[in-house]
Amino acid sequence: MMEDIIVTKDLSKTYVLGKITVPALKATSITIKRGDYISIVGPSGSGKSTFMNLLGCLDTPSSGHLYIEGTDVSILNENQLARIRREKIGFIFQKYNLIPTLNAKDNVALSMSFVGVNLKTRIKRAEELLELVDLSKRMDHKPSELSGGEQQRVAIARALSNKPTIILADEPTGNVDTKSGDKIMSILEDINAQGETIIVVTHDPIIAKRANRNLHIQDGEVRETAY
Amino acid sequence: MGRCEKLLIDNLKLALKNINERKTRSFLTLLGICIGIMAIISLMGIGEGMQQAITGELSSLSDTIVLSTGDISANAFGGGGFEHGDGDEYLTDRDISDIERINGIKDVSPILFTAGVITFNGDSNSVSLVGIDAENMEKIFGIGVLGLESGEFISEGKQNTCVIGYNIAYEYFDADIKLGNRIDINGKNFAVVGIYNKQGSGMSTETDDNIHITQRDFEKITGLSDSSSAIIRIYDVTQADEIAEDIEMAINENHGDEDFANAITMTSLIESIQQILSIAQVVLLSIASIALVVASIGIMNTMLTSVMERTREIGIMKAIGATNKDVLFIFIMEGILISIIGGIAGIILGIFGSNALSTVLTSSFGGALNPVISTSTIVLAILVAILVGMLSSLYPARKAAKMSPIEAVRYE
Repeated sequence: MMEDIIVTKDLSKTYVLGKITVPALKATSITIKRGDYISIVGPSGSGKSTFMNLLGCLDTPSSGHLYIEGTDVSILNENQLARIRREKIGFIFQKYNLIPTLNAKDNVALSMSFVGVNLKTRIKRAEELLELVDLSKRMDHKPSELSGGEQQRVAIARALSNKPTIILADEPTGNVDTKSGDKIMSILEDINAQGETIIVVTHDPIIAKRANRNLHIQDGEVRETAY
Repeated sequence: MGRCEKLLIDNLKLALKNINERKTRSFLTLLGICIGIMAIISLMGIGEGMQQAITGELSSLSDTIVLSTGDISANAFGGGGFEHGDGDEYLTDRDISDIERINGIKDVSPILFTAGVITFNGDSNSVSLVGIDAENMEKIFGIGVLGLESGEFISEGKQNTCVIGYNIAYEYFDADIKLGNRIDINGKNFAVVGIYNKQGSGMSTETDDNIHITQRDFEKITGLSDSSSAIIRIYDVTQADEIAEDIEMAINENHGDEDFANAITMTSLIESIQQILSIAQVVLLSIASIALVVASIGIMNTMLTSVMERTREIGIMKAIGATNKDVLFIFIMEGILISIIGGIAGIILGIFGSNALSTVLTSSFGGALNPVISTSTIVLAILVAILVGMLSSLYPARKAAKMSPIEAVRYE
């Protein structure tokens, strides 16, 4: 039986805009197990990004609790959250979000520097990860010299660099062509097959169907659905 | 290697990449700090050079006490010597013999001053005439700061010879006066045996318009034997201050006036000069510091622009695990690096600048001035550069560190 890796208990987020309060995520209680491959779907403004940001420790909940590998992260301070992000979570953004001044190898190695991995090990691991995403010949290229699909694969390599327990992908195929999108999803599925937990936010029902669990968000309410 | 050291090296590399990415802006920013440090190095080099030149030369005279009466004290060395108020302020024979009786005195040489007329090739001009013992003439005026441009000092016992100031040799008459030429001083014929270096108005002495002759010749051609100054040499330099006090007391007692005479030791003279130079240096450095303040504002402006431009990058770094402190260090490191590069360029230009400045100063005012830039000055300049870089990037760096990762990642 797989262990619980993410547990939310009445997790909610409310934004206050002047006198108006906007409930972006209503009390949500779900459990995600190690090795799950989860898709999150829902219309724009439904609360997908808010949920992702909370799961990724980029934001703090208004109420409720979020446990990552048993640690209640909803009570951690900024630096402790940064530590959780760099050690347990790998992010893949829709717009790749690579550092423009660094080449592919350095982009992948950067997050390892925050953990204190030495340069030699960092570079070796960055090269291995770029080989894994089939970019061994593009390692020294800057983001501006790479295609959208290639940039997203660099972002996947970066997400894997600190051997996280959870990969959070926000519309990972949103900005690439179908062929590149398929390749990206194949890579993520290979990673999942090795036991990594993958959570993908997507608009695309075809991509959502590839996951083994599906969460649907509407008006801040999270429901588990079946495709 | 700990996490901190690794982060330091990583931040350094990241900072270098960012500086390289924005070359023109970085260059203009570091130009500010470069100019500031250059100004500081140049001024400190010149100031230190001046102090060393003056104190170094005067130190060789540490066994000498200069005695002056009344208002003349400030000019005793240079022979301007005509400012004392009335004729009663001369040293008497009794004064001289009283000084000679004080313990520790090696010898006493009165200095005589008056105006004279010299004639060369039929043309005449007024000059300042100084009478001093041949031995002391070389000892006092032979030092490097003053020094001879050509020739030699008057030999002991030699009569009707003189050493002339630079202006007298080259500017007073249509034709230059050369060594060996003969001139008339107050109608008596003298041979020119030495010509002083050009001193200019910037130096403490005014020998350019003076003629130095022996005391004996002075008395012979002017009929004057009263002096208002004297050079006194002592055996033990450690007793200079005490002996100077004894001399003042003896002379003042002779004339019944507490402020009749001033006995200045070289040590106190050096201290006074050093104090004046230090004050001048502080004033000049304060002015140069304004350039650093401007440079610091420049760095802050550049870093603030950089933080704004890289908001998304900051968000990404935070998302992948950078703490507030990591982000803070990245930007502070960038500010420091810009400052250090500018500082090093400033030090190099400052070394050239101080040499150029000393050339301009010596050609305008005469004398010899070698700028002195010590290792401590260079270390200080680098430390100042680091401090300026750190302080001016602190606010932008804090701004970057406090950014919310979500908002920063979303920033377009």
